Amino acid sequence: MKPTSAYISEGQDIKIPLGCKLLYHEVELGVVISKRCSNISPSDASDYIGGFLLALDMTAKDFHIEAKEKSRPWFLCKGFDTSCPASGFIDKEKLSNYSDTRLWLKVDGVTKQNCSTSDMIFSVPEIISYVSKYFTLEVGDVILTGTPAGSGPVHAGQTIECGLADIAAMKFAVVELN
Amino acid sequence: MASTTVSRFRELGKKIVAVGRNYKEHAAELGNAVPTKPILFLKPTTSYVTQGQNIKIPPNCKSLHHEVELGIVIGKTGSHITEDRAADHIGGYVLALDMTARDLQDEAKKKGHPWTLAKGFDTSCPIGDLISKDKLPNPENVQLWLKVNGQTKQDGNTKDMIFDIPFLISYISKYFTLEEGDVILTGTPSGVGPVDKGDVIDAGIGDVSSFRFQVE
Repeated sequence: MKPTSAYISEGQDIKIPLGCKLLYHEVELGVVISKRCSNISPSDASDYIGGFLLALDMTAKDFHIEAKEKSRPWFLCKGFDTSCPASGFIDKEKLSNYSDTRLWLKVDGVTKQNCSTSDMIFSVPEIISYVSKYFTLEVGDVILTGTPAGSGPVHAGQTIECGLADIAAMKFAVVELN
Repeated sequence: MASTTVSRFRELGKKIVAVGRNYKEHAAELGNAVPTKPILFLKPTTSYVTQGQNIKIPPNCKSLHHEVELGIVIGKTGSHITEDRAADHIGGYVLALDMTARDLQDEAKKKGHPWTLAKGFDTSCPIGDLISKDKLPNPENVQLWLKVNGQTKQDGNTKDMIFDIPFLISYISKYFTLEEGDVILTGTPSGVGPVDKGDVIDAGIGDVSSFRFQVE
């Protein structure tokens, strides 16, 4: 889980969290929930999709490695301020083929991630259904549906550009926390 | 006088930041090392339940554990809050349970997976009413107690916290902006254990606040 305090929008910078020496980028398709629900089936899931967004699941990889080694929670490595750069809302109609849409990411102009959402192991309806078994989903909640291969480090001074086919794109600079 | 957001923290708060292993004896009882820095995890606000609602055992959980905790309700948004300014950001206190699917947590720990399911499921945060600051002038030295079906299981004191309240507010706010209405759960004393369907939990902060919940 990422707290909503992690959100930033274009124009704001990604800030390397305190003590992190290895910040990773992860481009993702986000699903925006339109109706409060719990325990729904995959076949009903699309009724609860209000729209989409493009997001980055910025990850403090060194904290992540330590958390996995020591069996600790992932909150610090995934939830820090500025760890969720997100686009504006994308209407459902603009992305009717969300199960086969390109996700791409470049760092300083060099392509790092470039894949289709058709490579997802668990589909969007399956994910919504599974999550809703444990957690009531509320209007405006977002589910980030995972990142394709190519996730890697970024450093202060670099620029990330990413996109969802030709439907949405955004650019963020990475800076030191100072 | 608490602001609207603070008095309606259960509806308007954005997150619950919980601290793990903040009492030495609790760390020991689960075979864990005492941490050198706070262990933090997130519970979503969808996990709140209030008296009158039941605690529900989540899917695939065979070992649901109780954990009584003192909660801090944030009264002023802030980040990089210094310890000497921490008190300015406290809006009040609250009694809470950090219900934990212990088997799901053990499985997550073995696989290096997140604790989200084990700690964040619906009804995993039974929560009391706001306690104003003047009703709890000494939050650093107050009893935390819990009974299951009338039998005392947890009986600790917040003076045994490893990391104190000002330190926690300061540490957490270095990484996560704390917003008005957010809650920090400050850890549980020793005596955690399982509850089953039909069990009744009574818990309290001294004689300042108490509540009762049934496990469905």
